[in-house]
Amino acid sequence: MPEMTAEDRELQEKVHDGFLVESEADMTENYKQALITQLLVQGDTELISAPAYFMAARDAPTTNTMVSATAIIQDELGHANIAYRLLEDLGVDRHWILYEREPHEFKHPYGFDQPLENWAELVVANGFYDRAGITLLGDVHRNTSYGPLKRALVKVDLEENFHLRHGEVWMKRLSTSGPEAREKLQDAVDWMFPMGVEWFGMPDDKKRHTTQLDFKLKGMSNDELRQTWLQAVVPLCDELGLDVPARVDEESGEVELTYDFPVQYDPEEKKWLFDEPISWDEVWDRWRERGPMNEEYVNSVRRSRFEIEEMLAA
Amino acid sequence: MSDGFDVDRIYEVFARQKREDRLEHVGAITAPNASLARVYAWQTYDEATWFEMVVAPRDSFEAVNREEAPFTLEPREEGAAT
Repeated sequence: MPEMTAEDRELQEKVHDGFLVESEADMTENYKQALITQLLVQGDTELISAPAYFMAARDAPTTNTMVSATAIIQDELGHANIAYRLLEDLGVDRHWILYEREPHEFKHPYGFDQPLENWAELVVANGFYDRAGITLLGDVHRNTSYGPLKRALVKVDLEENFHLRHGEVWMKRLSTSGPEAREKLQDAVDWMFPMGVEWFGMPDDKKRHTTQLDFKLKGMSNDELRQTWLQAVVPLCDELGLDVPARVDEESGEVELTYDFPVQYDPEEKKWLFDEPISWDEVWDRWRERGPMNEEYVNSVRRSRFEIEEMLAA
Repeated sequence: MSDGFDVDRIYEVFARQKREDRLEHVGAITAPNASLARVYAWQTYDEATWFEMVVAPRDSFEAVNREEAPFTLEPREEGAAT
């Protein structure tokens, strides 16, 4: 991490006193770089959720459900567009963002490198991953010191809540729709729950820097965000009779994982190897290696542009 | 204004939900021409049923009370990638 300067510390103090950064003129270089990274993660996550959801939407049970899934995908593309638009104001080239990076350089979580293969997996993605999105972006919305992002997130938060409701209503529906639907739902939960736990990154005691918190680009630490997510997701699963490797402490309301987090994942089998605890270096290696759908998802959002260019050139 | 696909411009998006509402800034989009700017704005900012939505190129804004208005400021450098 870069060395913090006197200007950085001055800005950190100002933003913690409530100062809103409104343009590049208000920023230090370190603030700007931290904000660029945050917006790339945000935009890439929204962007890559679209092909992932689209893959699963093809298994939609009826035309109406296909329409609601497609509406969610359109929202996600809009959210990506908003994050990338904010990046342009920081001098980041849109063409570079979309077309000049290697697929493995995109910054979305490992969970969106996995195939979503049926309707149950789509609705669990809405219930778990969009919940993760709301947890993370809701915190940014409340706390960010960057004014343009704070305002942009009003719309994003609103729409993510629709996606979450879609996920939770459908999880409930599948959980009461007979043994076959229930089994598919439980299978989805089995591999997607630990994916959600990993979504929030390294635990606080392993993290080496707190730049985003220092510049007030977010308000809560990784562990606090993960706990917020767990306290929403685990009671929901308990209510629906779905097994998850976690339990709610009745006195404190805190959720405790009942496995040795983090553990290794087998993407081909879509199975977590709960008896293989690994180090965070090994998690990083897996993330950096990217998952099975990484290239296909990235290429699928790029494909149509090249087809249109070819068509126009012909 | 050219209708070609060559130069991207930033368009600010303004909208109001009801006839009596103030026109409010809801966001911005980048588009190569005004027609596409209208489409992108309508598709991106679809969170409400708008009574009215308009777009205007950012570079058409005139700063009134400060020389370097945050809203109209250009990026410090082009193509800065991480």
